[in-house]
Amino acid sequence: MLRRIAVGAGLLIALLGTGCATHGSVSLQEVRAFADASAKVGGYGELSRRYRDTFERERPYLSPATERVARENDARRRAVYDDAVAIQRALVLYMQTLGLLAGEERYDLSARIDDLGSGLKASTESGLQQRHVVAYTGMSRLLTRVIASGYQNRSVEAMVRDGDADVQQLLDAMMSLTRLYRKTNENEKKTVLGIFNVEIPFSNRNNERMLVTLAKVHLQNKTTEYKLIDRRYDLAMQGLTKVALGHQKMRENMHRLNGDEVRHLLANYGRDLNIIRDGLNE
Amino acid sequence: MDKTTPHSTHSPAANGNASGPSDTPDSPGHAAASTSPSPSLRKPSAGNALSTRQQVIELADGLSDVADRLHERVLAEIARHDGRAVPDRTQATMRALLDDEMLLRQRANALYADAAAHVIGGLAQSQARLVTLTAEAADKIRRIGIIGEVTSLVGGVLALAGAVASGQATPIVLAIEKIQFHNAALKVLTPPAA
Repeated sequence: MLRRIAVGAGLLIALLGTGCATHGSVSLQEVRAFADASAKVGGYGELSRRYRDTFERERPYLSPATERVARENDARRRAVYDDAVAIQRALVLYMQTLGLLAGEERYDLSARIDDLGSGLKASTESGLQQRHVVAYTGMSRLLTRVIASGYQNRSVEAMVRDGDADVQQLLDAMMSLTRLYRKTNENEKKTVLGIFNVEIPFSNRNNERMLVTLAKVHLQNKTTEYKLIDRRYDLAMQGLTKVALGHQKMRENMHRLNGDEVRHLLANYGRDLNIIRDGLNE
Repeated sequence: MDKTTPHSTHSPAANGNASGPSDTPDSPGHAAASTSPSPSLRKPSAGNALSTRQQVIELADGLSDVADRLHERVLAEIARHDGRAVPDRTQATMRALLDDEMLLRQRANALYADAAAHVIGGLAQSQARLVTLTAEAADKIRRIGIIGEVTSLVGGVLALAGAVASGQATPIVLAIEKIQFHNAALKVLTPPAA
C-alpha cells in the first residue's frame, strides 16, 4: 500500500512539477483546497450565536406569561452554546491540519489543541447525543496525536481514514443543531411578525395613523430581515452537506487521491464551498 | 420551518362526554373557510412514549403547527370584518388567542431546545397518539365554526404542552383526556367539513 502511495505521489509531483515534500507527504492541491474551504465555510457559528440570543430579540413581543416560558428556554439554549461551538472548533482544526498535511508548509497548531481541552459538557441539556460526544473525544485525540508529533509520519490518507467516522458524526451534530436552530427561528419569526398582522387591522382610528405607519415600516423591515436569515440557514446547511460529502469521497477514494477523477470531484466541492462562503458574505 | 410539520388525519373525535373549559365564549359565528390546502395524511413514527430525540421534535413540530393554524384562524376571523371596525370584545378574544399562539410557540421551542436528551419516563401514552392528537387539534382549529370553541381547544393543547415540559406522566394523561373530551364536545358543534 505504501508503495502505491509513493508511486502515486511521485506521479503527481512529476505532473505538477512541484518540489518534493518532506515526511513522505505529498502535495495534494485539491485536498488542500477542499480542506481549507471546509475550515472556512461559515454560517454555523453565526447561527449558533443567533440561536443563543433568541430571547433577546423576541422579548419585546412577548406577553408576561409567555415571557416566563421564554426565559426558561433562554437558559436551555445558552446551555447548548459552548458545546455547539466546541464541535465546530474541532472540525475546523481537523480541516486545517488536513490542509497542512496535504501541502508542504508546516506550522504549529499545538496552541489550538488547548481549545479542545476540556471536552464537551455532555450534560443532558447540551443538545448532543452520546455518539457525538464520543466523536468529539476521538477527534481531539487524533488531532493531539497528529499535531503534537509535528505531523511526523502522517499521511493525508491516514488522517482521512482515522478521521472520517468522527468527522461525519461531528457534521451530523452540526446539521442536527442547525435544523433545530431553524425550527426555533421559525417560531421566533412568527412571534415577531404575528402581532402586527393582528394589531394593525385593529388600529383604524384617525389618531392611530402615525402608529400604524410606524408599525408597517417595522413589519416590512422585520420581514426582510427574516427572509435574509432563512437564506443563511439554507447556505449553512448546504455548506455542511458539501463538507460531509467531500470528506466521504476522500475516504472512499483514499488510495486514489491523486487520480484525475477524485481531484476533479474535490475541486468541485472546494469551489462549491467557496461559492457558499461568498453567498454568506454578501 | 422546513415543512416537516405533522398533519393529520381527519379521524373522528375520541369518545368522551365532558366539554372543555370555556373561558372566552365570544362567538362570531362561522369563520371563513381556511385557504390552506387540506392536510395530508401523515403517519407518526412508531414507538413508545416520548423517548427519542426525533419524537420530541415531532411533537414540537405538531405544536408549531397548531400555532400556525391558530394564527390563520385569527386572521380569517379578522378578515370577516372586511376593514370595518372590529368590536372590542372580538378584539379581546383575538388577542387572547394570539397570546395562546405565542405560548404554544414557546412550548415548541422548549422541546426543540431539549430535543436531544428529553426523555419522559413512565409515560403510557404512545408518542404516535400525542402527535395525532396535536395534528387533530390543528385540523379542528381550521374547521371549527365557533371561534370561542377554538379558545378552549387551544387551552387543552396548551395544557398538554405544559405537561410535556414538566416531564411528568400524570399531567400529560390528564391533558390528553381534556383534549379528547373537548374533541367529542366539538363533534356536536362542528359543521360538516367543507
